Amino acid sequence: MSGIRDTCRFQAIVLHRNHPVDGWLKYRCLCGTLERLRFHLMHGFKKTTFLPLLILLCAWQQVHAQKSGEFAPVPESVRKFLESNCYDCHQGSKPDGGLDLEELSNELTSANAHKWTRIHDRVRDGEMPPPDSADIERAEQKRFLKSTSKWINQVQDSRSAAFGRVSARRLTNLQLERTLHDLLGINIPLATRMPEEPKTGGFTTVAEGQSMSHFQMKQHVDIVDLALDDAFKRAFTRRESQNKTFGAAKIARPPDRNRCRIPELINGHAVTWSSRMAFYGRIPMTTATEAGWYRFRIKAKGLKPASGQSGVWCTIRSGRCVSSSPLMGWIDSFEATKKHKDLNVVAWLGEGDMLEIRPGDSTLKVGNFQGGQVDTGVGGKQNLPGVAIKSIEMQRIEPGPDNDAVRKSLFASERVMFGKNFTGSLKPEDPKKSLKSLLYRFAKKSFRRPIEADDILPYLQIAWDRYEKSQDFVSALRVGYRSILCSPRFMYFLERPGKLDDFAIASRLSYLIWNRMLDSELWTLASKKQLSDPKVLRKQVERMLRDPRGKDFVADFSHQWLDLDQIDFTEPDRRLYPGFDPIVEKSMIQETQRYLQEMIDNDLDIGYLVDSDFTFLNSRLASYYGIDKNGIGTTDGDEMQKVRLQKSSQRGGLLTHGSVLKITANGTTTSPVLRGVWVSEKLLGEHIPPPPENVPAIEPDIRGAKSIRDMLAKHKDSEDCAACHRKIDPPGFALENFDPSGRWRTHYGSWKKNIKTRAQVNPGFQMSDGKEFIDLAQFKKLVLADKEKLARNVAEKLITYGTGATIQFSDRDDIEACVSRAAKKDYGFKSLLKEVVASDLFRTK
Amino acid sequence: MNRKRTGFNFQKKLNRRTILRGTGVTLALPLLGAMKPSYAKGADAENSPKRFVAMTLGLGLHAPNLFPKESGKHYRASRYLKPIDDMRDKFTIISGSSHPGVGGGHRAEASILTANPVGSSGRASNTISIDQHLAKHLGDETRFPSLVLSSTGPNSPSYTENGAMIPAQDSPSALFKSLFVNDSKRQREKQAKRVREGRSIMDLVQDDVKRLERELGKSDRQRLDAYYTSVRDLEKRLAASEAWAHRPKPKVDTKKPVDIGNRSDFVGRQKLMSDMIRLALQTDSSRFIVYHLGGSGGVVPINGVREGYHALSHHGRDEEKLQQLAIVEQEIIASWGRFLRSLDGVDENGESLLDHTSVLLTSNLGNASNHSNKNMPVLFAGGGFKHGQHLAFDQKKNYPLPNLFVSLMQKLGLETDEFASSTGTMTGLEI
Repeated sequence: MSGIRDTCRFQAIVLHRNHPVDGWLKYRCLCGTLERLRFHLMHGFKKTTFLPLLILLCAWQQVHAQKSGEFAPVPESVRKFLESNCYDCHQGSKPDGGLDLEELSNELTSANAHKWTRIHDRVRDGEMPPPDSADIERAEQKRFLKSTSKWINQVQDSRSAAFGRVSARRLTNLQLERTLHDLLGINIPLATRMPEEPKTGGFTTVAEGQSMSHFQMKQHVDIVDLALDDAFKRAFTRRESQNKTFGAAKIARPPDRNRCRIPELINGHAVTWSSRMAFYGRIPMTTATEAGWYRFRIKAKGLKPASGQSGVWCTIRSGRCVSSSPLMGWIDSFEATKKHKDLNVVAWLGEGDMLEIRPGDSTLKVGNFQGGQVDTGVGGKQNLPGVAIKSIEMQRIEPGPDNDAVRKSLFASERVMFGKNFTGSLKPEDPKKSLKSLLYRFAKKSFRRPIEADDILPYLQIAWDRYEKSQDFVSALRVGYRSILCSPRFMYFLERPGKLDDFAIASRLSYLIWNRMLDSELWTLASKKQLSDPKVLRKQVERMLRDPRGKDFVADFSHQWLDLDQIDFTEPDRRLYPGFDPIVEKSMIQETQRYLQEMIDNDLDIGYLVDSDFTFLNSRLASYYGIDKNGIGTTDGDEMQKVRLQKSSQRGGLLTHGSVLKITANGTTTSPVLRGVWVSEKLLGEHIPPPPENVPAIEPDIRGAKSIRDMLAKHKDSEDCAACHRKIDPPGFALENFDPSGRWRTHYGSWKKNIKTRAQVNPGFQMSDGKEFIDLAQFKKLVLADKEKLARNVAEKLITYGTGATIQFSDRDDIEACVSRAAKKDYGFKSLLKEVVASDLFRTK
Repeated sequence: MNRKRTGFNFQKKLNRRTILRGTGVTLALPLLGAMKPSYAKGADAENSPKRFVAMTLGLGLHAPNLFPKESGKHYRASRYLKPIDDMRDKFTIISGSSHPGVGGGHRAEASILTANPVGSSGRASNTISIDQHLAKHLGDETRFPSLVLSSTGPNSPSYTENGAMIPAQDSPSALFKSLFVNDSKRQREKQAKRVREGRSIMDLVQDDVKRLERELGKSDRQRLDAYYTSVRDLEKRLAASEAWAHRPKPKVDTKKPVDIGNRSDFVGRQKLMSDMIRLALQTDSSRFIVYHLGGSGGVVPINGVREGYHALSHHGRDEEKLQQLAIVEQEIIASWGRFLRSLDGVDENGESLLDHTSVLLTSNLGNASNHSNKNMPVLFAGGGFKHGQHLAFDQKKNYPLPNLFVSLMQKLGLETDEFASSTGTMTGLEI
């Protein structure tokens, strides 16, 4: 088929150039015919018979499908401007920057829009034509900008009016998980069972990047099955929640086992010493007999903390704890202090998984154990830090709705009858009527909008067929639910072009803030058609953020916006960057999320992204950063606490968060380019295009170039490179004082070597406009001078994330409007979010 | 070489050659004797199933260490080829070839097996990859039409017809389970029922999407078309899997492997997954397998390597980095060689499994240091082609690599003479 498709495309162009054809009606008829023809083709008609006709029809369809309305070529004056000012360099076989203007189509397409946008922007910013080679009058430049932007706006606006700027996006993995949880009242983890999704423009919500094939469909069906299995199982279970408490003797190894990896009993405590031995600290008593959520109450204290430390930082993980199944899941970390502490953790355990609790701070002294096991008594003699557990209480729980609520989600008012052995059954009086009303109710909820009774007929049919065959009501209901959950009406955001109706707005809003389906209040407001009112929307944002579910917003959004989900992509080399461990890594993420939450809660101005005089630390992260722990209490050192930063501190603002510094490095070295691109794209909203394709591939040669700075200096020599590197390099250099593991450094090279032999870090550079800075502090000041720019970037990210389409040229006016309204609230983060939700962009497909 | 004999229990016939050789068979039976018959075709070499395995590297191979200076049959083994020189007659090294029009550095990973210029903007859509094309036409004889695997993460160079990336499986133990571990009878029945039900649901939602298209008009047609196609394809696949669900999986005398937790242990993971691939081929569980060895960021745990693999690949001609890179890449090729030897050691109807399996090792990067997609590294083994040579094409005006895919397709029995930007079959591979 690919051959045919190509031919079509070719024909389409020919046809378009020679015989422009119009007429919506003709198009419709032809499309219908074409659809049927395609069908025949796929079902085995001979290609040859239909091929010529098909080509013709394809061509027709192509011409019309690509454009809505009239074909609007680039204005003559714009072409003229380009011809007289730009063609000298941007034309021919080796055009500068890989941009051949003659080849650039006169028609604005989604494929070339970014090129036209960039042309506009570079002329606007005075970067093109290069000031030293051409001299154009301001008036001429202005005229060019005006007609270009008018043209792009017109074409994109008319396309959006016909098709919407967003095409139907699918629920992301996370959204699918939470929506199924909401619908069925269940709580089993689902998103982690699906493969990672691609990000477009930084977000998985963007429709353009979401692919669909039988693989994705199969995976969707599998997830739906898992969810339904769990829901139906719970609906017919009357669980007696079991509560088990183990004392230290049960937690520790049995007296007759002297060599193993289970804690040993010392003074009424189960003790595990600091060590690198895998699975040491495993607690077989906590083995889960079935997969599910468990609550653990752990009473523990620390032994022999390192000098100067208030306790022993420990990890709690789960897994089989055997070498044939070595992967461990992270649960939590805590600081075991001299006094006993009660910990409360809730964790999902797979069947056969158990807890492992052990000292996890990689700066601690580790024990020397021979022969791959820990002999009883050997650790105690080595003066090691350790963790001592007094008791563990274990309970199988169902977080969230209980089984009654699950029954209600599935069966509404139908009663489940329970037999003697706790198995339930369901036998309604009028099965057909019950089936109908249950499916209607479930479909309405699942499709997230009111529906007609007719809409569910096919779903009712398949369920009723099953009932007639099997006389099994529950299995019939399950088939009905299963098919509803595979419907495109469930899987996609279905929005009509133009202004969105209230239910479509409600869905956008609930998935933006919660990544879950609309709740009853949003449903009520949508039914009353009040959600088109910006005032109501702003209030809803306030309410939804304050809701317990509102805490998800910062975590979900920052995971993607700031790439926080990439933090464990590399592991810093332990020899080069000692002290970094999973506890530090998790604490770094918490620092950033707590910080952003603070910005939302108090509507702090967007400048706080770049600089501030406080951050959030626990005692482990504070000592990792080398920040005085004054003010961080010794009893609850594992809690993240707001910490004032001293004037002299190198920290303050996202750029100095370990998370960001770690994510933007590769584990072994830092690269100002990687960090520079990250800061430009994530915080400053400068899109850095990939290097042009036909730039002669100069092989980097770093022999003789001593530092990264010298290496990058070579970029200056080529305008092709310099155009972007002027923007990329400044933030990259400003952050050079931080190593790949997020710690402060003044010199490159291994910490073991003599400092005199190591190259000194120079964090100074100049901004793209020529302003110089000597260090990060000065760099931050320069960036903060333009808060509007910071706010614009965040607004763009929120729109992309919340609507499912990246920002195009014609969106700019709306974005500006958001930003200027937020300016009245000093660019408060929350205010900005509210304005985004109230904007036209958000309320239009 | 000491060949192991597979103990396929062919129902159709035992041909004379096999019986004559019978004496040698028993020795190797313990390993594979328990394998169950899993394909129906006759037991002579001609009718043996033909397979294709593509192993794709995300970070290239340093060309000066890979390509021999001389072309033709009598080339002197390069640094990287030395450890596999004993297999010289079984593979061809190809220089000076690439996918026409494909650029974009790392992004061209998406083009390795599609040869479709996805472009550096990443906006254009992709087309079907060679493995999926083969699986689509020839994959219905096995339990798994294709296997898409990787060392880490879901990224793969395998794409469906509508340009959706097929997420890769990266756990050898999970792969082992799906290949060889039977579900309980109850589970199987439940599974078969689910599959039947799934098929009728797919029918139903196909109708619904048509109604929806009428409601929504033209705006989301493309998206809904993609949904429609995926549902229809799934329906077809469910029909096929319904048949397989009732048949027991082949048995192997190998224990379920233990996954390697360290994501940076590139070569360790490569070895483990390669073993699984051999088992999958040997038991004819699948005939079209892609294994993507994407670049890992971390330090590969081999003596003498201190910097991250990805960072090393951008060596900038720095000698110390090149030295470390060579250690890593040499190990990768040596491990590939071990895989070839293991296939060659399995007898299948008088020939070796390698004779019936074409194995490709390539990368989108011809030069990882400057991200060039020209002069791709290409090693091509087995499959009944003419080997033992260095096919040296023009370094400046590259030969179209899609021609290799056309040769491959024809060898596997597809009557076709084009794939993507091909211009014919690859010269020099015909026997």
